[in-house]
Amino acid sequence: MCGIFGVTGDKDTTELLIHGLKRMEYRGYDSSGICLNNEELIRKRAVGPLSNLEPLVVDLPDSKCGIAHTRWATHGAPTVENAHPHVSSELDVAVVHNGIIENEVELRNFLKSDDKELEFESETDSELVAHLLSKELKKINSKIKNITEDQILSSWKNVIDKLEGSYALAAVISGREDSILFARKFAPLILSHDGKRGLLASDVSCVVGLSESVFYLEEGDWGIIKDLGVKIFNIDGDTVELKPKKLEWELGDAELGGYPTFMLKEIYEQPRVVRDCLRGRLSRDKIKGVKIPYHPRLLRIVGCGTAYNAGLLARYYIEQLSKIPVILDHAHEFRYGAPSGPKSLVVGISQSGETADTLAAIDAAQERGYPTLGIVNVESSTIARNVDHIIGIRAGPEIGVASTKAFTGQVLGGLLIAMKLGQDSKNFHREDLSYFDRHARMLPTSMERMLNDQNIKTKLWEAQQYFSGKNHAFFLGRNTSYPIALEGALKLKEISYIHAEGYAGGELKHGPLALVEEGTPIVVIASEGSSHKKLLGNAREVSSRGAKVIFITHQEDELADSHADLVIKVPRTHDLLQPLMYNIICQLLSLNIAEERGCNVDRPRNLAKSVTVE
Amino acid sequence: MIKMKAIILAGGRGQRLGGLTDSRSKVMLPLAGKPMLEWLLYELEKTEVSEVTIVHYYASERILTYFGSGRKFRMKINFVRQKADRGTVGSLIAGLSKINYNDKEQILILNGDNMVDSLSISSLIDLNHNGLIVSEHANPHNYGVVEFKGIKVKGITEKPDENQIKSRMVSTGVWSINKEVIDKIKLDFEDGQTELSTSISKQIKSGLIIKSVRTENWHDVDHPWDLNKLNRYLLKRMEREVSNQAEIHESSTIDGEVFIGQGTIIHPGCVIQGPVYISENCEIGPMAVITGSTSISSNCRIGPFSRIRSSLIMSDVQIDSNCSIHHSIIGPATSLKSNVEIDASSVTKVVRNTNYMIRRLGLVTGEACMLEHGVICAPGTMLGSQVYVSRRTKLDGEYNTGTKI
Repeated sequence: MCGIFGVTGDKDTTELLIHGLKRMEYRGYDSSGICLNNEELIRKRAVGPLSNLEPLVVDLPDSKCGIAHTRWATHGAPTVENAHPHVSSELDVAVVHNGIIENEVELRNFLKSDDKELEFESETDSELVAHLLSKELKKINSKIKNITEDQILSSWKNVIDKLEGSYALAAVISGREDSILFARKFAPLILSHDGKRGLLASDVSCVVGLSESVFYLEEGDWGIIKDLGVKIFNIDGDTVELKPKKLEWELGDAELGGYPTFMLKEIYEQPRVVRDCLRGRLSRDKIKGVKIPYHPRLLRIVGCGTAYNAGLLARYYIEQLSKIPVILDHAHEFRYGAPSGPKSLVVGISQSGETADTLAAIDAAQERGYPTLGIVNVESSTIARNVDHIIGIRAGPEIGVASTKAFTGQVLGGLLIAMKLGQDSKNFHREDLSYFDRHARMLPTSMERMLNDQNIKTKLWEAQQYFSGKNHAFFLGRNTSYPIALEGALKLKEISYIHAEGYAGGELKHGPLALVEEGTPIVVIASEGSSHKKLLGNAREVSSRGAKVIFITHQEDELADSHADLVIKVPRTHDLLQPLMYNIICQLLSLNIAEERGCNVDRPRNLAKSVTVE
Repeated sequence: MIKMKAIILAGGRGQRLGGLTDSRSKVMLPLAGKPMLEWLLYELEKTEVSEVTIVHYYASERILTYFGSGRKFRMKINFVRQKADRGTVGSLIAGLSKINYNDKEQILILNGDNMVDSLSISSLIDLNHNGLIVSEHANPHNYGVVEFKGIKVKGITEKPDENQIKSRMVSTGVWSINKEVIDKIKLDFEDGQTELSTSISKQIKSGLIIKSVRTENWHDVDHPWDLNKLNRYLLKRMEREVSNQAEIHESSTIDGEVFIGQGTIIHPGCVIQGPVYISENCEIGPMAVITGSTSISSNCRIGPFSRIRSSLIMSDVQIDSNCSIHHSIIGPATSLKSNVEIDASSVTKVVRNTNYMIRRLGLVTGEACMLEHGVICAPGTMLGSQVYVSRRTKLDGEYNTGTKI
């Protein structure tokens, strides 16, 4: 949420800033802005997509340093005034910020008490940082020329010491045309420097292709980046050595190529995600490379949104294969709850590895002395660095705001844990694994067959018609298909803005059935074993109350045909993998419906990727 | 230096390849580790071509996912999807919509499912004139047969009857044409002419001069057995390269021109005799023998004591212990349990009234087939996709997709 980007030591600063913003637009797209650090600060801002900003920056003078921001509104509506960068009253300082300053009111009063005349341009918490820094600098000398770099750094430290809450900050000072100040706490920020050019950014996607290595700042790190070098300090003021890491992704991974949308691209990448995620980990006789720090009697899984749904499916798998009980929590509920009971292994699931609530839940678990495991996509992320062990899902950059391929990877990550624990507890045998392995190797091809099946494409088109003019829809599942129902409903609401809910089939009579009207579209997702027949019963119940039933099942299921208005059949695979096939159908269905309604599937309204604020 | 623009027509499925093209078009079938289309792009990269537009239609997403942004090539790569299947001219027009060209430029047109070498393409470009690459072919009646007057093309007869064949030279479908020719093709298209060769043929009759360039390095893939042939050709040009991220047991012998990709494990006692291409993340052996002109795509597993020769094994294939496979094409995610035996010898296949004599052919499978223990296949056995064959069955002939035997 919100992206910040800074450049120093480049000729084409403006161009580079816009390039970086394009890469980060998925982090927020309410408004955007840049500030060039010339003899004086030059600021341009616009509301709406980046294309609104671009015409404003065409004729700006050459500068070698600048900062940029793309915003997802938290404090204050998306207006030009609230767009970043924010400046101090005398235009001597400009700031971009990602995060939430929690002591905003105190700081505002503090500034006001000192200068009654002071007027705030925006409603944002971020603007205060610009005023604070300006004030600190004035305390030293009114002329910036007369202030040393050490004095600037100590002023900056004074400012960030006053801030409570979360922030990734970048600031430029008029008259210091080569320098950007930075700081991070509970919001991601990375640096890169090749000796001539320095970059700082919220995430790696905008540095990919510009630099081969990056440096990940730790909580509380702050400092200054210039064309010739970087100075980094930790929270205690000690110098931190710049230790760059090689970038895990290549340029092109985060580009559309010939695809019209990232979501479609990422849906079609799922066969590859399966191959990559299982590579080297799954064999006929053992699970390799999955380290479990502690052999628990209880597991606790935490996640938000799609990651939570993946966690729910992981819970079924772990309980089924290892007989170890699992408690699943939304990360935010875990964080502020009071988890008790025996020492348990806490598994955090997050695509970006920066999700604020999941990160906090992991911290809370570690404070209680619980061992932790992360299932993440970005293996250099904060969560990945904080947990005892990670399972990287190897999905590659996910740019579409609605998560698709990461879900598949997260479920496989959970399944690997389940099988590992199952083997260790002797509940999941060698022959079970060997049978699973054979089918898992066939899964990518089954997915590819499904994705290219003309008959399925036609059925999806027919299914889409059921949603025409509808504002409510339901997804039903049982057992391992219940998480898919939740995820299907989440995708549909995220990108098409249709109100959609996922229910366990058994809940129907306890309330949701009252919502069924003539023509209500209901997607039923097949489950395995005895619960499948119960689902067929549920399909009947809603059907006889006028609902239009779309049943998603596998090719060998002949029972479903007489229970639904439309049946979509996908290739059969292993029971444990079958839900992933159904989920892809739900993703495609949501995508088709959203596009039919004219929605921007990559940038749904009010949402943003990587929820780095609470 | 001339900067040439090329259009590759890659929309077709490749119907005659059966189950192999269920979820990918012909141009995406892997040969010597790379899709045919990629090999063609590498050839183009060696010429003066600086911008390529790929026109896709069938199984589009596979092409887009594989090539991504196209940044690995030194040329600019555009993608465009043809809106409906409207012949080669329809594809060409879709491709032209993506590029800017003036009336002095020549535009290069190629088919994605053919391989032609860079030297021949360069010769065509060097003509700087409307031109066509031609090649001799054993079965000319399936192609446009070309007649000449000097190096100029006198006429093209599409798929003539056997007794009317006047030459063995056929059109490879690799053209260099200018705006004037293109404009006339467009006009003709509005009158319903959707085949490029026929359309240009008409222009030749009314005086258009097309110069010809002969090649001996043209490979067309029409039937499954053509894949083995092209695979052999591509492997012959390959150089030895063993990834340092492959795990090879010291007791295994790796001889000749062999490629082994990263993450691949070769267990003890294997013998691999080139030319052999083994892609990434495969697991071979112990004691497996892989010889001459074999390509194995990524994520395959070849079990103990199995022997593979002159075959094309696509991705995610699992071959258990003690199988014997040669001159075969095994489609993606197919699973062969232990002791499967494939017989290969010379076979005659009849397709649309044409007899094809294939020197050696074993088994051809589509996607995701499953052959249980001890299945025996007669030469030239062909399976669709998702065919299930139970224990010890003897297979002979052709079996459709989804059959359970």
